Parts: sequence; C-alpha cells; structure tokens
Amino acid sequence: MLDTQKRHRNTILNFAAIGVLIVFLLIIDGIGSVKLEQAFALFAIWGIAAVSLNLINGTTGILSLGHHGFMLIGGYITALLILSSESRARIANSARSQMNEFTLGLSIKNWFEALGLNALATDDTLWLRFIVAIVIGGIISMIFGLIVGIPSLRLRGDYLAIVTFGFGEIIRLLASTRLFAPFTNGSLGFSGVPSEFGKSLWWTFGFLAITVFVMAKLKYSSYGRALQGIREDEIAAEAMGVNLAYHKVLAFAISAFFAGIAGGLWVSWLATARLDVFLFTLTFFFLVAVSVGGTGSVTGVLIGTALVVFVRQYGDPLEESYTLWQWLLAGGVLLLAAAVATLIYRNIRRLRPRLNASIYIVVGLGIIALLIGLFAASGGQLQSEYRAFGMRAIILSALLVIIMIFKPDGILGQAEFNWAWLFRERKDQPTDEERAQDAWLTGPELSKRLEAAETREASAETAGESSEAN
Amino acid sequence: MAVSSIPEPKKRNWAPYLIIGAILMIVIGRIIFLGTVSDRFNAAFFTRAITESFKLGSLYALIALGYTMVYGIIRLINFAHGEVFMVGAFATFFLFSAAPYPWPVAVLVAIPIAFGVMRILDFWRGKMTDPIVLAGGGVVFFIAVWLLSATTVNFVLALIFSMLITGVLGIFIDRIAYSPLRGAPRNSMLITAIAVSFFLQNFGLLTLTRRQTPFRPDTVLNNSLVFNMFDGTVRTSWLIVVIPLISLVLVIALTLFVTRTRLGKAMRATAQDAEVAQMMGVNVGRVIATTFLLGSMLAAAGGAMWGLNFGSLNQPAILGILPGIKAFAAAVIGGIGSLPGAVIGGLIIGFAENFLTAIFPRTPEFAGITEFKDTFAFILLIVILLVRPSGIIGEDLSEKV
Repeated sequence: MLDTQKRHRNTILNFAAIGVLIVFLLIIDGIGSVKLEQAFALFAIWGIAAVSLNLINGTTGILSLGHHGFMLIGGYITALLILSSESRARIANSARSQMNEFTLGLSIKNWFEALGLNALATDDTLWLRFIVAIVIGGIISMIFGLIVGIPSLRLRGDYLAIVTFGFGEIIRLLASTRLFAPFTNGSLGFSGVPSEFGKSLWWTFGFLAITVFVMAKLKYSSYGRALQGIREDEIAAEAMGVNLAYHKVLAFAISAFFAGIAGGLWVSWLATARLDVFLFTLTFFFLVAVSVGGTGSVTGVLIGTALVVFVRQYGDPLEESYTLWQWLLAGGVLLLAAAVATLIYRNIRRLRPRLNASIYIVVGLGIIALLIGLFAASGGQLQSEYRAFGMRAIILSALLVIIMIFKPDGILGQAEFNWAWLFRERKDQPTDEERAQDAWLTGPELSKRLEAAETREASAETAGESSEAN
Repeated sequence: MAVSSIPEPKKRNWAPYLIIGAILMIVIGRIIFLGTVSDRFNAAFFTRAITESFKLGSLYALIALGYTMVYGIIRLINFAHGEVFMVGAFATFFLFSAAPYPWPVAVLVAIPIAFGVMRILDFWRGKMTDPIVLAGGGVVFFIAVWLLSATTVNFVLALIFSMLITGVLGIFIDRIAYSPLRGAPRNSMLITAIAVSFFLQNFGLLTLTRRQTPFRPDTVLNNSLVFNMFDGTVRTSWLIVVIPLISLVLVIALTLFVTRTRLGKAMRATAQDAEVAQMMGVNVGRVIATTFLLGSMLAAAGGAMWGLNFGSLNQPAILGILPGIKAFAAAVIGGIGSLPGAVIGGLIIGFAENFLTAIFPRTPEFAGITEFKDTFAFILLIVILLVRPSGIIGEDLSEKV
C-alpha cells in the first residue's frame, strides 16, 4: 500500500495531467493545422483499437489477429445508421448500387421519426444519433466477439491466432459478397459519412478516455487478475478456480466492443466506409503498437500507438522520390550504423564473439554502397529518381522484428506508467524491518542498523505516524 | 514378471467413412441433378473441374509442405511463407522475362544461386568449406553469370534458379529474424513471422513492381490440350498434366530425402525432440537451415507454376497472402508436421475451392457460390481445428502438464 501522502500526491498529479492534456488539446485545436488535428484524432482512434487489442493480446495473452474484422463491423454499422439522406439518395440513384429499399431505410433518423421523436431527427442532434449508432455498432461487434471467442475454449496459442485471423478475413470477404452487399454496398462502400466526429479532437479523445478508464479499471479488478493469470499459466489459473471459458470469452467481447467503437470513429475520420481500409494491415499496426509499447500495459500501448501514428502521418518524406545515389548513400549509412549498433550491443552485453564474421560482410557492403554513392554523386551518374513506396510499413515491420528480438515485452513491459518513476522511488526497496533482519542474519557488524531502526521506529511511534512503507 | 493385460477389442471408428460417404453421395447427386438442368454440365465440364482442382490442389500442397516442415522442426507457424512464395513467383518472372541482364546485376543474382548450390552440395559433403562444395559453387557462379548476362533463360532453368534464390532467402530470413528467438514464447515468434511477412510484402512493392504483372511464358508447358470425354470436348492446357507432375516429382524427391538420407533422418529426429536429437549429435542448426531451404524451394516452385497457371501475378503486397494462408489451412487439415498430410490437405483445399464451385454452378435459379470460394479454406480450417485439431493424419497436440 502506498502511504496517504503519496496517494494524495498521485491524485493531484493525475488531475494535473488531465488538465495539461485538455489545455494541450485546446492549443492544438487553436493552432488550426488540419494535419496536426487529424494526426491527434487518428492517435485517439487507433489508441482505442490498440488498447482494446491489448486486452486480448497483452492482458490475456491470446494472440488475436482479427481486430480489423471487428472494426469493419462497427464501422459499417455506424456508417449505415448515420448516413445522410443525400448520400442515401445518391446511392439509390446509382446504377451500381447493391443496396435495397430495406437497407437504405436503416437509419436512426427514420427510427426516431417513426417513434414520433421528430425533435431528435434534426441536423442539430446528429451527435445523439452518432452516439446511438456507434454504440449499436459496438454491441453488434461484441456479439461477433463472443462468436470468435468460442474457439478460444478449445484452442491455444498460435492455432487460436490463426483462427482469429481466419475470422477477420472471413468477415472481410463475406462483406463483399452478394449476401451482405445490401448492407455494405459491395466494393463501393459508403461515401459521405459525417466526419465531424472522427476528426474532432474532443469526440475522439473523449472515447479514448472512456476506453482507457475502463481498461485500467479492468486490469486491476478481479477479472483483470484472472485474465493475467490465464496469460501466465492457463492450467494453473484453472486449477486456482478461474473459469477459463467465461473469462476468455469476456475478454474477446469487451475487446470487440471497443474495436467496434474504434471502427465507427475510423469510418467517420475517413468520411468513407470502404472494404479496402479494413485490411489486415490495420491489425498489424495495432500489433506493432501493442508489441512495441508493452504487451499488457495500457500506457505502453498508447506510446506505441503514438509511434505508429507518427510514422504513418509524418513519414511522407520517406516515400518521396530521391535519386539513386541518395538511396545508395542512405543504405550505406544504415548498414554501417547497424554494424556499429551491433558492436556496441555485443560489447555492453559482453557477448562472445564480439566480432561476428557477418559483421565484415555488412560493413563491406555498407562501404561499397557509400563509395558508389559518393562517386556517382560527384560524377553526376545514377541520377534516375526512385520512389520508395511502402517504406513506412517496412520501417514498422523492421522495428517489430527488432523489438521482438531484443525486448519481447515492449518498451514498458507489463508495467504501467507510474508517478513514482518521476521521483525515482524504487518499489522493491526493503523496509527497515527487512533491513534489520538482513543485518541480523548476515553478521554482527551490521547490527548497528538494527539498533538504529529500532530507535527510529520507537520515535516514529511516539510521533504517532505509521511507518509502513510499501 | 510382466503382467499380461487382456487386449481390448479395437473399436472401429466409422465417422471418417460416414463423412466420405456423405460427401460422395452429395457430389454424385449434384452431378446427376445438374445433368438434368442443362447440357452445359456434361462429362467434359466435370472432367475439367476435376483436373483443374487437382492442379490447384497440387500447388497448395507444394506450399503447404513448407509450412508443415518448418512447424515440425521449430514449432513456428511461418507466416512469411506466403511471401516467400511470392518472391519465388516474381524471381521466376524476372529471370524469365528480363534476361539478359547487364553484368553487375547478373553477378548479384548469381551470388544467391551459387550459395544455394553450395548449400545443396553441403547435404552431401557436410561442410561448407569443403573443396568440392566451394568448387561447385564457383563453377555454378560463373555459369550463372554467363547465362544471365549473355542469353535468355528458358522457363525450367528460371524455375530452378528461382528455387535456389528463394531457398537462400528462406535461410536468410531464419538467420536474421527467427534464430535469435529460439526458445522464446510462441507468440513472440509468430509476431516476428508476421512482421517478416509485412516486411517482404512492402519490400516487394518497393523493389519488384507495384502492379499486376502479366506472365504468359510461351513454353511447351502451357500449350493447349484438347481431348474428347464421352459426349464433350475438354479444352484445357498441358498444365493440368505438367503442374501435378512437377509437384509429384518434387514431393517424391523430398520424401526420399527425408526418409533415405542421413540429414533427412536428422530432420525427423529433430522434429521428434530437438533437445535429445542435439544430445545425440545432430547438428540442429544445420537441420533448421535445411528445412528452410527445402520449404522455400518448394514454395518457389509453387509460385512459378502459380504464375504460369493464372497468366498473371498480382502485386507483391497481396499475391502471397491468400495462397499462403490457404496452404497453411491445408497443412493444418492434413495434420501439421506430417508430409503426406500436407499433400492430402492441399488436394482437399484445391477440390473444396474449385470442384465445389463447379458442382454448385451458376444456374438460372441459383447464383452460384463462386464469390464465396475464398472463405472455404478458412471455414474448413476453423471446423477442423474445432473438431479434430490434430488434422487428418497428425500427432496429438494437447498440451502436456
């Protein structure tokens, strides 16, 4: 237990951090840079999805690869339910439309009007309809989460991962077929989804705050402990009385609910709902966020999401066209840097052999690339321009491999960000009593500490304070 | 003194026979029914469907062998195997259509080819620095440089070169990405494999091409083949013979390798128990490299014939995903870790995808199930994992405490 003083300090700091965040968002809102606002809104949306994926992947330790399917369900349902009448008319008039009377009439606006709530069906109350739509999307996504969770009762580990991947892909493939095309409008999708919610910092960060609050509360509840128990050792957890089936399916359902919400916001952010924005790539991005930030740590996942979103939104310079000699120079520098980094790493970790033979190959290739690049630059050769499409994804996947090799738990591991870190308090510091015991056990020359501790304890008691620490 | 136990009468399991019988009855019923619907559904139609399914199934079987071998040895679902297949397909395409190359490119391409040949000679000599291995690699290197820079390359040679290049890529992937994670949790290994798969997809976009690539080599292999079947004419190409034949040759070669050679025996020992095999003197590192080499070579052969079969290669970021995951489904259906299982699973997937859509075709009353065919593999995978996770002929997978 923390002592009262520290708890008060943490509460104050928490509120201060929230205040700083709000001021920060106000400033970003005030700057008026569209790109910056979009990046932050995207951070919040993907943050919701990544944090919800973290509940399955990190906390429960089940690798789930079907998150794009849940997002697709939430996104399409939200889009269908709040699509404006003009967009509906456009779809109905289009020759290639695959929707019918019934699906075109699926709209919360119509439902409100049918119920006689005309006041809620005006343009001013779109926000209310959006909330209703996104919650319905989340709930239907949750039902799918329950269905996907059922195989988790029989399967473990990598097999389950493949099955979740299969479910995600089935959802995506089915959405384009004749069976579901009336709901999804086939490969055309919907355009003209109201985008004032997904692009608004307040809406997206509001949903993110709710998600983070729920996930953080869940992590330290009895359910969260049970889920962590399942991650550490399924058999042991079952032996301790954890109902595996119930908890696993619960994790899938909650995660799918928030994934559906993220899908609704994502569709709103894009202003369109199309099948090609719900590819497996999306799940891969969240997987990078979860794995790099810290599997099981909500704050870590948010850090990872920030990284992914930064690379996605501000990685454009990587994919612009450069001349071939510039690419050669960059490649040479990269190879040499990798070699140096490896050398430093092996030296720090005292690994043997320090110099692997393959290092020579890497260094040699790097030097050759540098030399060719430099000669070509001075001689005016290799001037053809070249654009590196897919460089951002390459960087993210390389990052993921490196993280998996060197720090498989991610940057933060399973720990959450803690104010104590700022004050350099160590959690595992022994108490005075333990020190005294150590001293008594290790030898008489340390028994002075015992006396000192006793006197301190006595004085503390007289002062009427509790000397409990951690 | 041993206690003798009374042998229990073995109970016959009738479920497989029932399932096979039911499937056969449905198929025959559908064929008879379709015969009454239209003249279009004659014997030639179904012959064509069967041969096409067999062709597709043998391609899936080739890819599935790579999955099953890698899983058998290091218990890793090699998610990047589909991308290895993609690289094999594109390597064949570029070797076939872009040669002759300028000499620096030819040298760069010849390096992995020579290295692959050295790796294969190493099966026999057991040492990479053996003079025969080095000499073989050197000779192949110069021949490859000469061939690539002076002449065009015919399809079979392109196939072999592509297999060597892709095999070396497989070893390379294992060394860079997977080998640091030996003994790590399975989830970390799977995430790494996914990352490698994404890396290869986007690297393919970056270096190979960004468009769908037509690939219609004019070889003897895809000449058209027309023959009569009862009441109709089947118009198809020699590929329905060539692809299963090449696959059969490769599968037989692999089976002989695994059952008859020392290294194959070492592979089987490692698959049973890697630790004990290591204690018994098996060089596990060499076995793993061999596994990746052979699996990737088979995938490259599959990729080359995939291009030949469909006449075009999709763009690198999506070419490998669906065939890869379907082949994985095939490996699981057959029983992962088992070579005949992979072949059977591949054929099952091929038939499920092609023959099933043929016996439920588009008729005036019914719109057909063609657009659902990509989901069949996933549905089969999920069903088999739920009903019989060990696959049709597989070992028991339940976790031991």
